[in-house]
Amino acid sequence: MSGYDAVVVGAGVLGAATALELAEAGLSVLVLDRGAPNREGSGTTAGNLHIQAVHTRRPGQAVPLDSEGLLPAQKAADGLWAQAEERLDADLEVRRNGGFMVAETAEQRQELRTKHVWERRAGLETELLDGDAARAALPLLGPTVTAATWCPHDGYANPLKAAPAYLAAAGRRGARVEAFTPVTGLERRGAAWRVRTPRGHHDTPVVVNTAGPWISDVGALAGVDLRMSPVAIQMHVTVRERPVLHHLVQHIGEGMSVKQVTAGNLLLGGGWPARRMDLDGRSSAGVAGLAGNVAQAARILPFLARLRLLRMWAGPLAATPDEMPVIGPVPGREGLYVAGGTYAFTFAPLWGETLGRMIRGQSPRIDVSAFAPDRLTAPAGGADTAVPAHTEKGTAPC
Amino acid sequence: MTPRTAAAQVEVTVDGRPVLVRPGTSVAAALLEQGRWDFRVDPVSGRDRGPYCGMGVCLECEVTVDGRAHVRSCLERVRAGMRIDTAAGEDA
Amino acid sequence: MSADTFAPSLPAAAELSADAAVVGAGPAGLAAALELARGGLDVLLLDEQAEPGGQYYRRPGPEVLDAVGDHRPEGGRLVARVRAAGVRVLSGHTVWGVDDDRRTLLAASPGGAALRVRARWVVAATGAYERSVPFPGWQLPGVVTPGLAQHMSAEGVRLGRRAVVAGSGPFLLPVACALLERGVRVAAVAEAGRPYTPGPAALGALRFPARLAELASYAARLARHGVRLHQDTVVARAHGADRVEAATLVRFSDPGEVVARHDVDLLCVGYGFRPQADLAQLLGCAVDRDPATGDTVPRLTPAGRASVPHVYVVGEAAGAAGAPTALARGRAAALDILAASGRAPDRGERRRLAVRMASLARFTRLTAALYPAPAELVPALARRLPGSALVCRCECVTAGAVRGAAAAAGGSDVPAVKGGTRAGMGLCQARECGPALEALRADGPGTGAVPARVPLRPLPLAAVLGPAPGEDA
Repeated sequence: MSGYDAVVVGAGVLGAATALELAEAGLSVLVLDRGAPNREGSGTTAGNLHIQAVHTRRPGQAVPLDSEGLLPAQKAADGLWAQAEERLDADLEVRRNGGFMVAETAEQRQELRTKHVWERRAGLETELLDGDAARAALPLLGPTVTAATWCPHDGYANPLKAAPAYLAAAGRRGARVEAFTPVTGLERRGAAWRVRTPRGHHDTPVVVNTAGPWISDVGALAGVDLRMSPVAIQMHVTVRERPVLHHLVQHIGEGMSVKQVTAGNLLLGGGWPARRMDLDGRSSAGVAGLAGNVAQAARILPFLARLRLLRMWAGPLAATPDEMPVIGPVPGREGLYVAGGTYAFTFAPLWGETLGRMIRGQSPRIDVSAFAPDRLTAPAGGADTAVPAHTEKGTAPC
Repeated sequence: MTPRTAAAQVEVTVDGRPVLVRPGTSVAAALLEQGRWDFRVDPVSGRDRGPYCGMGVCLECEVTVDGRAHVRSCLERVRAGMRIDTAAGEDA
Repeated sequence: MSADTFAPSLPAAAELSADAAVVGAGPAGLAAALELARGGLDVLLLDEQAEPGGQYYRRPGPEVLDAVGDHRPEGGRLVARVRAAGVRVLSGHTVWGVDDDRRTLLAASPGGAALRVRARWVVAATGAYERSVPFPGWQLPGVVTPGLAQHMSAEGVRLGRRAVVAGSGPFLLPVACALLERGVRVAAVAEAGRPYTPGPAALGALRFPARLAELASYAARLARHGVRLHQDTVVARAHGADRVEAATLVRFSDPGEVVARHDVDLLCVGYGFRPQADLAQLLGCAVDRDPATGDTVPRLTPAGRASVPHVYVVGEAAGAAGAPTALARGRAAALDILAASGRAPDRGERRRLAVRMASLARFTRLTAALYPAPAELVPALARRLPGSALVCRCECVTAGAVRGAAAAAGGSDVPAVKGGTRAGMGLCQARECGPALEALRADGPGTGAVPARVPLRPLPLAAVLGPAPGEDA
């Protein structure tokens, strides 16, 4: 029906960033999405730019991630976010005002010290503060905070603007976007892939799977088993306030992130599980997650208790069994690439660039071999290494 | 056609100034009878907003009552001694 | 991992239980609560206003009633009977959501404390609110809904010196009369349709002479006061700097034709009422789009039972149809619940009620046929909005911005338009701009309606946190 140099499956922020990279290099690119662009994980995420080492577990997460192993990618992503608005010629509400990662218990303080060492080793500038020093730097912090690390590079961007801006920029360079167009088949035809949709098919040598929670489903169409588990998490936002909090605040021991977005609303997140994941319709946020997230956030930032909740929502993300990102060519499937997993929003500019370089045979900015998809396609070693406990896999078609 | 002056008026303060209002009305009614339509300032445009729906849905009539912020004045009754602050009062 | 691993959903929340929880103390909720209590059930009636009555029977304090009179004394009598029947009435309690079991109601007390309400039966009598359609200048102070004008007039307030009442529907006439009674000069009433020169489709309404006589008496009063009644006329613009100063009226069928420009300090504009069905949606009830109004309405049996069998939706929340219908729906749902609870009410009574409801429904249909269908009227008005006009008054998002997002590369739907522009994401959560927002997004795949979300009203986080140590709930 038609031919493209590359077809990107999934118009979230990773797909959009990859499409721009490829279109800028002169490739003809088609981006397909089963729904509206940026509607799922990329549009429902909190939009944090995590540059200091992250805490290792979301609430309910079974396997801790390798926080140290992410640092080179975070450092590289930081540099790319600094240039994103200029490159995209768009206001993404990027705020790189720095952030605090707080601790309360002795064990958490030890975690902060450990991560501070990793950060110095990775060449990332952070500062370790005791509780009083942290409160002097951010008087909004509550009395239970006993230590914090400060990283001047942490920040956030508006997730409702990032992917659309990437898509628009890609569009200006000739990329096409087809929304509400699910991929129904991926067949190998000679040296090319035939991408089937209800509206016809497209032949292309390169397929990029950035389908987020549907990564496994899209992989399955190409006959490859990518062991990813969709999870739905929820976010909470208050009514607009006058500017009061200029930094990102996170917790080393618990899932928590708080910031004031450009419009003035305070956004509370941290990966609390949604009430229900629904990959066919909309996932729904629950009261348990609300109560848990608000209780911890108001303990760390007591001023939140006098604010009003305006809205809460849920969105899906795709977790790998080891909770680390996945990026690279899919082994045994020439021309098929995948990117997804943890902290995809922070890494979007980097993963877009990385896939773009890989597809064009160039070496990426940083070594991403640790995140290669082969660890997801290898047969499981035994029952106990199977999917983690928090997986509630949906039955959605891609 | 104007209401016959019946029950004694009660004193409340509006933005710090004492005023006499009819008892039994909503806070919104009391402010409107003072000729006030600037209940809140829209945070985006910075322009005055006044009550719109009168039934607690639009939230344009929110004022501070006795230090309690964000009270929908169309749903709240005036009481003697009540302290009502509009956005104009908060900024003062 | 499922959310229920995370124990108590609301720390230290007070918990109440009842056989039936009725949400909303307007005509439908009061009627349902009364009938349920008479049938022997333990009934909780929750309402966000200071006093029961809802919008229709909304009552100012006794001092005001003494001074200006009670225009609906039957409301006060109904409330008294509800209390006498033993219904536990919780005024000032805002139901803001539903717990993760999709059954327990979550409310905030007047002091902001959290309250959980568990009941065998839930009756959502959450009413309706006025359908707004944006026009340039609608955000100016002094531009209000007809409902606000009526409430404030009932409280004895003279809202302005000179007013225009505009929009569509029978409600505009009594509102204009209420303003006149308070000494407001009404320069004109502008009706988008031509209901008062009815065509053949409307003649069926003649079978209800009493209700028509009511409308005719309003029209006669307006004529006596020299109020011009413009038909096929809508507000094109409200003028003014910090308050409304004037209104331009144009032909609905030919927006290029200026009908009049009036200097006013009060402009009341509304296009009828929309059901407030979001609580039912949070309870998991199936909803449909009403093809005539474009509104989201719950899918119900004739007795008001929703797709979730322990939930009933009554009154205006089930579809705007007026107070007599609301009262009947409240009673019908209550009788259905009593029958299902094994407290068989009089069969004859249920039959008589069904006959009355059928007759009322006929009248509602015929009345609706007199006025333009909102599903056509709203898009027609939204399409002609100038790009600079505010669609979302909370977040100050223009029609131009909404149109831009709706035309975004690759296709768009209502949530995508919201996300892309912030339209509908402010304080009122799209309750005012929702119809226009849905109309401005061209037809296409994806979600066409603004979804229901928790909280139903901005919620003090203190209500989620529970009392601080040493503090009373």
